[in-house]
Amino acid sequence: MSYTFTILSPTDTPLFTHSFGTSRSGGDGIPRFTSSERALIPFILHSALDIVEDVQWGPSTSAGSAPMYLKHIDKYQNNFISCWITGGNVRFLLLTRPRDEALGLGPSSSGQKGSLAGGRAGLQSSSGMLYSPTNAATEEAVKNFFQDVYESWLKTIMNPFFNVGKGDVVKSPVFRARVAAAAKKYL
Amino acid sequence: MNPLQDATPRPPKYADLEASVILPKQRASPASSLTSLPYRRSNPSLHKLFESTSSLAGSRPSSGTATPTPASAPPAALSPGSRQNGTGTPSSLQPGVSDEYRILIQRAFVPHVAVVADVETETMIRGKGIEGGLLQLLRPFGETVPGKITIRDSIGASKSHADFGIRFVGAHLGSGLASLPATARNSLEDPSRTSHTSMRPRSIGGNVAQVEEVVDRHLQYFEFNAHTAASGIPGEPHTLAPEANSSPFYTLYLRRLLSGLPLVPHETFAHPVASVIAVSSRNPNPTEEFRRLYAKQREGELRPPPWVDNEYLRYYVLVHEEETGDIAKSNQVFDQMKRHFGLNCHLLRLKSQQCIPSDDDSVRLPTCEWMSSAEELAEIQQRETADDITDPTPYIPESDITAIRTFVRELVAQSIVPQMERHVATWNEQVLARRRGISGRFMSLSKRWTPFGSSRNSSSPALGSSNTNYDSLQGFYRPDAPEAIMRKLADYSFMLRDWKLALSTYDILRTDFNNDKAWRHYAGAAEMAALSALMSTGPLTSKTRTENIDTWIEAASYSYTDRDRSAAPYYALRTLALSLELLRLRGASAADDAARWASRILEMGLVGPVGNALFTERVAACYAIRKGVGAHRMGSRLRKAAFFAVLAAEAWFRLGKSLQAEKCLDVAMGLYGARGGYDDGVVKIPFAQMREFIEELRQQILGLRMSIRGLESEEGAEEEVEESVVVEETETLDKSPRMHRRSLIGAVAPATDLAGLTPGLEREREEEKKADHFE
Repeated sequence: MSYTFTILSPTDTPLFTHSFGTSRSGGDGIPRFTSSERALIPFILHSALDIVEDVQWGPSTSAGSAPMYLKHIDKYQNNFISCWITGGNVRFLLLTRPRDEALGLGPSSSGQKGSLAGGRAGLQSSSGMLYSPTNAATEEAVKNFFQDVYESWLKTIMNPFFNVGKGDVVKSPVFRARVAAAAKKYL
Repeated sequence: MNPLQDATPRPPKYADLEASVILPKQRASPASSLTSLPYRRSNPSLHKLFESTSSLAGSRPSSGTATPTPASAPPAALSPGSRQNGTGTPSSLQPGVSDEYRILIQRAFVPHVAVVADVETETMIRGKGIEGGLLQLLRPFGETVPGKITIRDSIGASKSHADFGIRFVGAHLGSGLASLPATARNSLEDPSRTSHTSMRPRSIGGNVAQVEEVVDRHLQYFEFNAHTAASGIPGEPHTLAPEANSSPFYTLYLRRLLSGLPLVPHETFAHPVASVIAVSSRNPNPTEEFRRLYAKQREGELRPPPWVDNEYLRYYVLVHEEETGDIAKSNQVFDQMKRHFGLNCHLLRLKSQQCIPSDDDSVRLPTCEWMSSAEELAEIQQRETADDITDPTPYIPESDITAIRTFVRELVAQSIVPQMERHVATWNEQVLARRRGISGRFMSLSKRWTPFGSSRNSSSPALGSSNTNYDSLQGFYRPDAPEAIMRKLADYSFMLRDWKLALSTYDILRTDFNNDKAWRHYAGAAEMAALSALMSTGPLTSKTRTENIDTWIEAASYSYTDRDRSAAPYYALRTLALSLELLRLRGASAADDAARWASRILEMGLVGPVGNALFTERVAACYAIRKGVGAHRMGSRLRKAAFFAVLAAEAWFRLGKSLQAEKCLDVAMGLYGARGGYDDGVVKIPFAQMREFIEELRQQILGLRMSIRGLESEEGAEEEVEESVVVEETETLDKSPRMHRRSLIGAVAPATDLAGLTPGLEREREEEKKADHFE
């Protein structure tokens, strides 16, 4: 599975982008997007903002306070997008691109037992199911990830030298390291 | 129950399954070998063929900003642009959304009329220079019946339609057509099987690959000609009007998709509603000839397949020849006919001598708007390979046209429509009401739950079991079964535009077919139920929309492709494409659904490369409908729309269609601008990568355009390059003819990745170029 995490300002400017792969079940944390996919990612994320706004301002699904974690909101082909909104209307978007096998698409989906790289694939399929963005475990993992990132994000923007109002791009290496750590921990 | 006339059960063709699911690559058709030839744009006869798209391509005639196209104006009644003001549009039509496609759909499902003529008539009409005989002469005039046609619906309310039409079809009603459309499609490719009808290609559509090819031809023609004609068009700034991107090519795509509906058991649109039997006055014994032709159609070689109801209306026409015929004698015969047949006959007076364009009152035989893709392809090929550049379309005297118009009007207004109304009323009373009533419900219940109905689920199907009328072995209902009659009733009322009755009937049929496990029929009923619900002008609540229509569309597309033994991707595509267009008309809240179905088409892989680009464009158009409210454009889908427009631009670029690509890119920029605002006149795009991607795409498209223009000016030796073009582009222009020529030999779309040239290649071409200079 490959991920791209982006933070978008209220005016749709990207403030921070980080791509990584899964670290679960033996993953090495390196994203595996094809070049054409990589070119489309910003478009997909940008277009998902339409849906984000819809969900954000649409009828509330939960009673009382509006949730920050909007869960899985959009999908383009095999790219699934989850969203978290901060109090300042900054959007965290996480794009998930599961491996083809996890979607039941790949050539190994029919005869997964025999595949040479069966270690991981076998493990995945033995857990019983294909990737689903609304799966409780997936949602929980993404939520934890967002929560960690949110915490670091708050600490970053509290820096008096960081000009939040102007929509400064986040350059802090510490923040990047923390996002990477959260990614490694939960995804 | 009499034994089946067609006793040999046709085994389902499993072998075709794969072939029909995946679109064939279309190498078999001879047309593909010709696609590679560059167009001779001087050919006027060819231009006529491409008129439908090339004259409209720049701007739609309805939009106010349209620059008047200098193209020779086609007769107003036949040009597609003149139908914009249709009746019965949903009242809540958004500004800027035309119901063009609704009218298109309305005009696609019309009664079919078979044409038979005796030998004398055919010889006489061939003598006029019309190779296709009476059918070819009548066909263009049936497409729009002159004047308004008033139709009474099931509750007795009358409504007039100005755009009613009928389709004249050949008398060989699918005689070469096997029971499954999949095999029919294959027989199209197989030349040996089509030989027996005539030299003319079968006028049966339903072949997605051919549709794609036709549209591709049009695109190619447009691409090559627009570059030379006016370089102004591509540079023209596009304003943000959503209808600006409903391209004429998409209209053509849909129209070809709906042309020549195949004759199949699961829907009766292509089944003849009536038949015209024509006999010439030259014939020594017309009455005897009428009888002979009737018998031929009823029992003889023209007998339709067993699932087609043979009891349709016969309309008798006496063709009188003005020059040599004796009108007194003809009148006498005609009087006799009138006594026999009542209203269902006509005296058609035609001139027999050949007409040439320079004659006083000669009129060009109009082109058929609704010819099938196979026919159009054949026509294009024929004209391309023909050496003379004169227009081969025959001319006919004006008096003939008037006569034919009168004939068609009379045929439709006095015979076909009343006949259909009568049928609808009778069936409604006798079959549908009974099925709907208490006893009908009970019947269907008992049918379902009968304790002795063991044969229903057992493997020995059909013939013995009295519980179901479905012959699951051959996959059809006999035409006298109540289900078949109800389907006919529903189709008739759909064709007569009584959407309400159609909807309720389709809905009943849906459950019946479901119980019988007649999946193809079930899919057909679900499809038409969704369409008639969407066609009706009344408002739809979003609840019915999501609960009923969505499930119907879903069920239809699923049953057409996955559930059946032989998948029918053509029908699935038809379902999705039509419902997406109709949903799109229903305003902002339905636009999301429309876009979803459009992306479904792409995901299911129902279309080829051209369709892929067209439908991607369409997704963008669907999203663009939702403009959002307020200053913040709440609930808009502009970003999505822009994204898909960029995707469409890329798809067009990959197909080598620079003009289309550029148009899409302009639309995308307009949408991004509307959303993100402008910065010194430059559209603000937030992501740097997006900017880069778009910039690169634009460069590539520019390069492609240059290379195509380079091909054009090939003979003009070294044409000077425009100043504005950067150095890199100059190079492109110089070497491109060669490159293009090479790609043409391979008959592949030129994937000119100009940016990715390696230095080595670059040098090589440089040398090549030099060698060129010295030659």
